[in-house]
Amino acid sequence: MKKILLGGLAVPALLVAVSVPASAFEGRTVAAPNCDYGGKIESIVAQDEYTVVFNLCKPDPAFKAKAAFTPFGIEPEEYIDSAGVDGSIISAPIGTGPFMLDAWNRGDSVVYKRFDDYWGEKPVYSTLVYRWNDSGAGRLNELRAGTVDQITNVSPDDYDSVKMDDSLQFIPVVNPNTMYLGMTNTFAPFDDVKVRQAIAMGIDRQRIIDNFYPAGSEVASHFTPCSLPNACVGDDWYGFDPAKAKELLAEAGYPDGFDTKIYYRDVFRGYLPEPSLVAVELQTQLRDNLGINAEVVVMESGEFIDESTSGRLDGFYMLGWGADYPHITNFLDYHFTKGTVQFGNPFPEIYDNLITASTIADTATAEPYYEKANNAIRELVPMVPIAHGASASAALKTLGNAHFPPFGAPQLQFDDPGKDTLVYMQNAEPISLYCADETDGESLAACQPVVETLLNYKIDSGDTVPALATDCSANDEATVWTCTLREGVKFHDGSSFDANDVVASWAAGIDASNPAHKGNTGSFDYYAYLWDGFMNAE
Amino acid sequence: MSALSRASAQYSTKIDNEGLLGDPKPMWRQAISRLLGIRSGQIGLVIILVLLFIAAFADLIAPYNPQQVLIGVEQVKKREAPCVHILGCDVSKPQHLMGIDGNVRDEFSRVLHGTRVSLTIGLTTVSAALIFGVFFGAISGYFGGWVDMIIMRLMDVILGFPSLLLAIAIVAVLGPGIQNALLAISIVTLPQYARVTRASVLSVKELDFVAASKVMGASHRHILFFRVLPNAMTPIVVLATLGIATAILDAAGLSFLGLGAQPPMPEWGTMLGSERNQIFSAPHLVFFPGIAIMITVLGFNLLGDGLRDALDPRLNHS
Repeated sequence: MKKILLGGLAVPALLVAVSVPASAFEGRTVAAPNCDYGGKIESIVAQDEYTVVFNLCKPDPAFKAKAAFTPFGIEPEEYIDSAGVDGSIISAPIGTGPFMLDAWNRGDSVVYKRFDDYWGEKPVYSTLVYRWNDSGAGRLNELRAGTVDQITNVSPDDYDSVKMDDSLQFIPVVNPNTMYLGMTNTFAPFDDVKVRQAIAMGIDRQRIIDNFYPAGSEVASHFTPCSLPNACVGDDWYGFDPAKAKELLAEAGYPDGFDTKIYYRDVFRGYLPEPSLVAVELQTQLRDNLGINAEVVVMESGEFIDESTSGRLDGFYMLGWGADYPHITNFLDYHFTKGTVQFGNPFPEIYDNLITASTIADTATAEPYYEKANNAIRELVPMVPIAHGASASAALKTLGNAHFPPFGAPQLQFDDPGKDTLVYMQNAEPISLYCADETDGESLAACQPVVETLLNYKIDSGDTVPALATDCSANDEATVWTCTLREGVKFHDGSSFDANDVVASWAAGIDASNPAHKGNTGSFDYYAYLWDGFMNAE
Repeated sequence: MSALSRASAQYSTKIDNEGLLGDPKPMWRQAISRLLGIRSGQIGLVIILVLLFIAAFADLIAPYNPQQVLIGVEQVKKREAPCVHILGCDVSKPQHLMGIDGNVRDEFSRVLHGTRVSLTIGLTTVSAALIFGVFFGAISGYFGGWVDMIIMRLMDVILGFPSLLLAIAIVAVLGPGIQNALLAISIVTLPQYARVTRASVLSVKELDFVAASKVMGASHRHILFFRVLPNAMTPIVVLATLGIATAILDAAGLSFLGLGAQPPMPEWGTMLGSERNQIFSAPHLVFFPGIAIMITVLGFNLLGDGLRDALDPRLNHS
């Protein structure tokens, strides 16, 4: 007998038959007892075979943008209930995408085969291969040798040589991003706002952009890149004023500076193309401008992310953020809302405005709240926004339709390599292929050919287009979102796609009591932060 | 002091004064003169002397402070190629013999100051390993028995690990940094000195002049440190010379991995590691530190080879 999930509990379908139409379809539901848990989602209901209703506790105007994000991909209900529980799902995803997983050769490559029953336009080639190399020079070398068709993250120093190479295409990436210098306000001397303000004024950010970022990068006037609505309302960031900075530092009791550390991970990102150089540059500026003696400390990537986002780093740290979806909440809410401890104790002056603004659909109506939030960030300086970085991808000239979208990884099904195999090279190996429980960009990119979401981003913008849902529309208050699903879609295992697959996939992420809420680490970060927490958590 | 001991001490002094056991100074003089006659020794010595000169006077020779960022000081860009006026570089541009590094600093000045860091690393680690290794090896070889067994088994345990891997493990526990790297390299190289010293002491302590000292009533301390060790030092001196090269390589390796010297210290391994991805776009930043390591290691290896030949009694130096 098919079971229905109610509040995370598997209930025989007969018990809820009163709400199910007389047809054969038994709709699943995942629900919280009420909205007291603080999250945004009250319930997700498979209303009929091709209709899913998301009942929200509070309005969410960014719902569509979020629903198009890879972690909210859909896998078969039965597969979630079995492989999601026993853990095998993390290395063997089953989706509806244009490619199906053929093999994950650990340490070497992920190989995909074309899915011939794909509902959309089928790729013109049969095999897609993902490879990785953490060295920019190594990636470019492979591209020049013709062993790969497209690479991510061209090193800034190689921009000119790629542009001048007749056999290559230079592809600018316009993903909005921010690189910042973080401080944790629970550690001295960063618990003193004057120290933080001194640092905000004591760093020549233009000098960093001019010397360590590629052309097209810009100094951050606000935390969120200005291409997003309401991102740059409020006052611009402090100008470079070392004299005033020294004065503030002296007032705080540190006239001769202090000893600290600069933590970072040596990983190439669009917002930080050369971390080790920028770390040394910051070390130099802090010493020369403020008398602060900072030791540079490189950390392993995973450990660094864990320690920084948990607010456990006692010095400066260099980190950044690339937009997952085109909405200001993706930047401000993740970093500064209530409950985030990345910069120490969160500030109510900031998060009260963010919480109010996040429920307002109209950009103009939300503007005053974002203005107050941005000004509070400037005043309280939880971090120093440094740069909005430009980055680029490169491909062989022979790769037709080569592109790099502003959001997500390239949609390689649209490319034409002119042969039967396309090889794509990124920075690193995926951590897992169950992207509901991944935040790592390399993992999300590797999930994308296999697993689809309800909506998708346009190839050249952050606007959403139909994918597994032909439409998602909201009621007037934006508290109820109804998605109409595409009919006739098949999963790679041959099963048919319906509304229960959507509910099961979302339930595994959002419902802490769901048996499939295990994943790779069990943190399901994007479910927690985009929807303000898990339902049915103990 | 007993009458016998007093008599022994008097005899020992008399024997020393009369040079009956041989004055070590002439032997060393002979060795140096033999070394200067060996081609590899000559080249090695010249390289080392030049490096020592550079290390001592780096502040005067280097045109820039190795940590000085030239942004706003000169019209240069990061990772700019070398500009040498006599090789045709525009004279209006500032001269940088080895180019500019990723943080817009003069590479030549950093490589020169790197000599100081690397020689310090080599000499410090070998000195520490030498002092403790020779001490434990001498005790072990001279006294034998349970003392020998305990010390040598401990050395065997350390030798059981691949040296660089053990050094990485030690630094990983203690934390990255030049001091911890020095300590780690000293620990992993110490057993080599202990083993060679022990072997040398075992053969020397059986010689007649040691027996004579014993008969004269000399103390163990006196026999070991003033009779046996000076005559057992030949292989240790050679090993130490070669060991400096290995220590410099190990330290560069640790720094390359980010476990040794930390920025902004101008250390060759760190310089290589930080620019390893630019091997195609800025090869000079990998080439010059690499060449510096190679020349230094070559210098110590040649000197070590020369010393080995000069000090080897089996070779006919006539």
